Amino acid sequence: MADKEATVYIIDVGESMADCHNGREESDLDFSMRYVWDKLSTTVAASRKTWTVGVLGLNTRKTDNKQAHEGLDGYEHISVLQELGPMSMTSLKELKSKIKPSGRSGGDAISAIVVAQCMIDAFTKKLKYNRKIVLVTNAETPFDDDSLEDVSSKLNESNIELVIIGVDFDDAEYGFKEEDKSSIKRRNEQALEKLISQCNLAVYGTMAQAVDELSVPRIKHVRPFKSYDGALTLGDPASYQSALSIHVERYFKTKRAAVPSASTVVIKQESGGHSQSTQTMDEEDVPMDGVEFSGVKQLRTYKVNDPDAPGGKKDVEMEDLARGYQYGSTVVPFSESDLNITKLETKKGLTVLGFVPFSNYEPFMNMGETGLIVAQRQNEEAEITLSALIHALHEVESYAVARYVQKDGAQPQILLLKPNPGIEDEFECLYDVPLPFAEDVRSYQFPPLDKVVTVTGNVLTEHRLLPSEDLNEAMSDYVDAMDISTFGADDDGKPSEYAPIEELYNPVIHRVNQAIRSRAVDPDGAIEPPAGILLRFSNPPEKLVEKAKPEIESLIEAAEIKKVPAKAQGKRWKKEAVKPLSGLDIDSLLGQSRKTKTISSENAVPEFKQTIATADDDATVEDAVKQMGQIIRKLIEDSFADLFYSRAAENLRVMREELLGLELPGMYNKFLTALKRSILSGELNGDRREMWFKHILAGKLSLITSEESEVSDVTEEQAKAFMK
Amino acid sequence: MDWKDNEDNRQDGDDGEEELDETDYKTQKDAVLFAIDVSSSMIQPPPNTGDKKKADTDSAVAAALKCAYQIMQQRIIAQPKDMMGILLFGTEKSKFRDEPGSRSSSGYPHCYLLTDLDIPSAGDVKQLKALVEEGDEEGILVPSKDEVLMSNVLFCANQVFTTNAANFGSRRLFIITDNDDPHSGDKTIKSSAAVRAKDLYDLGVVIELFPVSRDNDKFDLTKFYDDIIYRDPGVEADEVKSSKSGDGITLLNSLISNINSKQTPKRSYFSNLPFELAPGLTIGIKGYMPLHRQQPHRTCWVWIGGEKAQLAYSETAKVDSTTRTVEKTEIKKAYKFGGEYIYFKPEEAVALKDMGKKVLRVIGFKPRSQLPSWASVKKSIFIFPSEEHFVGSTRVFSALWQKLLKSQKIGIAWFIARENANPIMVAIIPSRNPEDAQSSTQAFPDGLWLYPLPFADDVRTVEFEAKRRPADEVTDKMREIVMNLQLPKASYNPLKYPNPSLQWHYKILQAMALEEDVPDKLDDPTVPKYRQIDKRVGGNLAELKEMVAEKAKVLMETRAFKREIEDYDDDRPSKRAKPAAKKPSGHLNNAQLKAAMEQDTLKKLTVAELKDILVSKGLSTAGKKAELLEKLEHWLGENA
Repeated sequence: MADKEATVYIIDVGESMADCHNGREESDLDFSMRYVWDKLSTTVAASRKTWTVGVLGLNTRKTDNKQAHEGLDGYEHISVLQELGPMSMTSLKELKSKIKPSGRSGGDAISAIVVAQCMIDAFTKKLKYNRKIVLVTNAETPFDDDSLEDVSSKLNESNIELVIIGVDFDDAEYGFKEEDKSSIKRRNEQALEKLISQCNLAVYGTMAQAVDELSVPRIKHVRPFKSYDGALTLGDPASYQSALSIHVERYFKTKRAAVPSASTVVIKQESGGHSQSTQTMDEEDVPMDGVEFSGVKQLRTYKVNDPDAPGGKKDVEMEDLARGYQYGSTVVPFSESDLNITKLETKKGLTVLGFVPFSNYEPFMNMGETGLIVAQRQNEEAEITLSALIHALHEVESYAVARYVQKDGAQPQILLLKPNPGIEDEFECLYDVPLPFAEDVRSYQFPPLDKVVTVTGNVLTEHRLLPSEDLNEAMSDYVDAMDISTFGADDDGKPSEYAPIEELYNPVIHRVNQAIRSRAVDPDGAIEPPAGILLRFSNPPEKLVEKAKPEIESLIEAAEIKKVPAKAQGKRWKKEAVKPLSGLDIDSLLGQSRKTKTISSENAVPEFKQTIATADDDATVEDAVKQMGQIIRKLIEDSFADLFYSRAAENLRVMREELLGLELPGMYNKFLTALKRSILSGELNGDRREMWFKHILAGKLSLITSEESEVSDVTEEQAKAFMK
Repeated sequence: MDWKDNEDNRQDGDDGEEELDETDYKTQKDAVLFAIDVSSSMIQPPPNTGDKKKADTDSAVAAALKCAYQIMQQRIIAQPKDMMGILLFGTEKSKFRDEPGSRSSSGYPHCYLLTDLDIPSAGDVKQLKALVEEGDEEGILVPSKDEVLMSNVLFCANQVFTTNAANFGSRRLFIITDNDDPHSGDKTIKSSAAVRAKDLYDLGVVIELFPVSRDNDKFDLTKFYDDIIYRDPGVEADEVKSSKSGDGITLLNSLISNINSKQTPKRSYFSNLPFELAPGLTIGIKGYMPLHRQQPHRTCWVWIGGEKAQLAYSETAKVDSTTRTVEKTEIKKAYKFGGEYIYFKPEEAVALKDMGKKVLRVIGFKPRSQLPSWASVKKSIFIFPSEEHFVGSTRVFSALWQKLLKSQKIGIAWFIARENANPIMVAIIPSRNPEDAQSSTQAFPDGLWLYPLPFADDVRTVEFEAKRRPADEVTDKMREIVMNLQLPKASYNPLKYPNPSLQWHYKILQAMALEEDVPDKLDDPTVPKYRQIDKRVGGNLAELKEMVAEKAKVLMETRAFKREIEDYDDDRPSKRAKPAAKKPSGHLNNAQLKAAMEQDTLKKLTVAELKDILVSKGLSTAGKKAELLEKLEHWLGENA
């Protein structure tokens, strides 16, 4: 829940705002609107009813405001372009059409602030609001500065923040000074600065800085969410007097921010008769404004396998369905009331299992996001006990391992509780991270990295897979040279950590949000490349690389990396004959036992591979392919429903792989083209389209293109056409 | 049942990226066929050692079957899409499947296909369970008098894989035997076995041997199995370990431990990722996910309209608001924005997310201490070098790994796991397999881990204070407690802590599937050993609590005094505005709220205050005041 907001933007649309200044190619108005549109579209994006926005035009052609309507003087050429209210795409579009240079002047900026203040007062009454007026102007038109004090005291009384962003205003801090400033503007700037200084809540700045800062990602602030409010126990208070119980609260410390996700939509079809025109229009050319999208929903139907039904499947009705779980290949139906019996009954709690030293834990065991645990507020006992636990853990360098159940019935988790005694941040708490359960660990085995164990069990410490002393040394020098622990600079220019977490912005989130905002304002604009700040850490800092050049060069030299040429990565690269561990000459054995070159269906893959491996000429290969082809066809033909499809596909895959390796793509393409014809024409004993679509196309067994194999004469486009 | 009902459980699977890797695994399905030797020595019960407690009572065959039974159950939980089968060889009886088109059982004499290769069904589990627990009533486990030909066994396995798991990415034959020389002296028979082994190799089936050794006889691979087993040279050579009974470890446990270490197929998360270690220096790596949160499966729809319950597949059709079916080509992607859709052309949508090619690129190094202890967002990925595209990758990788270990440093890198994946920043952290580990499965292997760093966007700010308190005598007492309550071996070994929710789910499900009695209790090692805690630190705890009570009393009094002074100050000129004088209601503690409820003064709170309180309890703030009050009272009734 965010606080309510009422913001009025005052936009100078006067004559001079249409001009370009200081070498910019866009008008002052367009330049300013970059800032305003960004702010407005951010508000739209939030789509909160309680964030209200009003817009006033200054130096408008007409006059439309309450004060002027009441007959007061000095309120001319000020128009309410939008009353205070929630911001939507519709209002954004309307505004867009209204904000145009008026070619006029004569509006009084101070009067506009008064109008804005009255709008806010009338709208927010005495309710709790964050009130704000944003004035955007180049201050080239004169205004009455007699009543500045009145205005500022009114603003202070209403608790309104005043933000003035001026085009080409002087700003020593940002380092901008406009030469040849007009005298009116100089005077105005001084007056506005004076006004600002009298306001309690105020921001004053130059537009260039405001526009610059638009590219700095704004992080969405989320209020802390309390995920747990209850006891942290050591022992069981229900059965042991000695047990300790500390009342704690747990909040999220990290929570992954989501990348905005796109919805699936279609262009809305009008039910009226004019669909003719939409059909003939090229969809690429349809302007955004003219198109309405409609969300897409999923409509589910259910089927079961039925060998008697055509295609092996039949539709079933919803009322014949029950919820259930799968146990292996067996399905176990449950009645709605029984569904919960597989759910473990648990009681809310956080209880310590024991302690482990820092040294016996590695951060890569973490399974997810971090929590933060503090004592219940204004509970002295909890405060003292938790603090003692934090300090004790810190002193003996240990973590606690605890079982956590967020609420009754929730799945238990194992948390590692880490002490944060607040030495650096004056914030005393426990951090917690989830640890894996037994089922979460996949025990993969890998050979050691600092020695090589040969098949016969010998241990080698010198080997081409192991670094030489030179390489070790070069690596060590390189790593030390590229140390960034003090490569950054803090606000005072002192050395500090480079790339700290506070500066790591999620590039995709900010890029997408930024693109959505600008498209909302300008539907026809092209998307901009990602802002530099988002890619800042995608490469090592240039200066450091420059400095570490000698180390990098000697590392490259010692590493002796050889890139395997793309061609050799393929199978054509004549493999060494494969041998079992004993080194037995299996090929000659095979030569004896497989004299005939007939490939049997039941042992097709090995026999095909073996024939290919020993083939001396293309004719032998061609014969093997022919035989394999017949086996594949026969499998499809004899398949009861889809029974042999995967086997046929596997044979086809092996054929493709081997021919690709032999650089004989033509042979494969020829066979596949014929196979396609046979399948689609139904000559392989009925409807075998599933084989084609599900196994061959989805299995990526389509034609071998020239991209995959240089000698293929099939282009990417031809392959695509073939798949249709 | 909704398993994702609380926020904490959404660790995985809550974004597209995570789902992507699991779907990728589907194409790499795994099929394992156990081939168990049923010879007279294999069915021989172990000699009675006299040591009753540790006596091993299982014959090798019994141990192998028990092991297979346990692994079958494990796989149903962990790898529900994967296949498993059991082939006995050397049996008197012979059995192959009796499908049309396949060879009759006489084709493979003395081979008995106990469980055909498939996703295990409840029936398979039941059958195996009966054989393991009730014994061999059908006389299956009777050794043949004639010799079984290994070439036949291997070809039988070949056929099982060819027909049932034709396009599986991973196919493995687990041979369990105590006979290191099945065809001693007969070269021809040995050769034909070698040929059949080559067939399996060409078929893509990997043979894993689990030898059972007895007494002090070494299982000699050179006699036969070296001709049967193939390994890619140089890469990931792992040794063949013998299983045996002794040293207090039963043959069963020894087998389980050995098989478990190879049970999960090694599936890579990505391969051939360029690792740009320095500008101009790129090596090749593969990525793995040794950690993955295992969740109970979602419910499915079951068709109960027929004789047998059957799984119903759902097919979805996309429709628009008028329920008109939508063609695939019509579908567009658009972002919701201010109540409308903002549309990007498909190529624009792709371009938006394009942040460069897939890569792991080091941008610098930091001392390990600069990794904040709270900086955790999701599980890490394990990487290992690959020579495929860059020869020399392994030695460079090893040099980096050694340096990071030695200097206690971490790398910081920009990481895009695959084309179109979202970039993240990672810390590169080395892991070391401790040499003295009791079992190699406990520790993590040598290698590097990509530890995802949170973005600034992922860090929540907390607006209240938690002032640092000085350490005092309570701390000293607490220290004793901490030192006295270390976990076994002073470390958290995940393998000792099965997930209770998952275990319970499958226990119940298994009982229902096998039509057995539903258990009423779960042995849950994640529940602390309360009695031991009381015994070991009970005294300390009691003392600690006394100290705390005293200190708290003093603290409370000083605070009350301070507050009084403040209140006194406040009372004089009433210049403070009214709303500010009120105590921030969000900070009323539960006890105070409860007291207010009992005195029926909760309703004095304003709506805004009520909402603040509700937010702080994580409750929704929708509704009128009366509803808000009700919500709060309900919560207090349950929680305070």
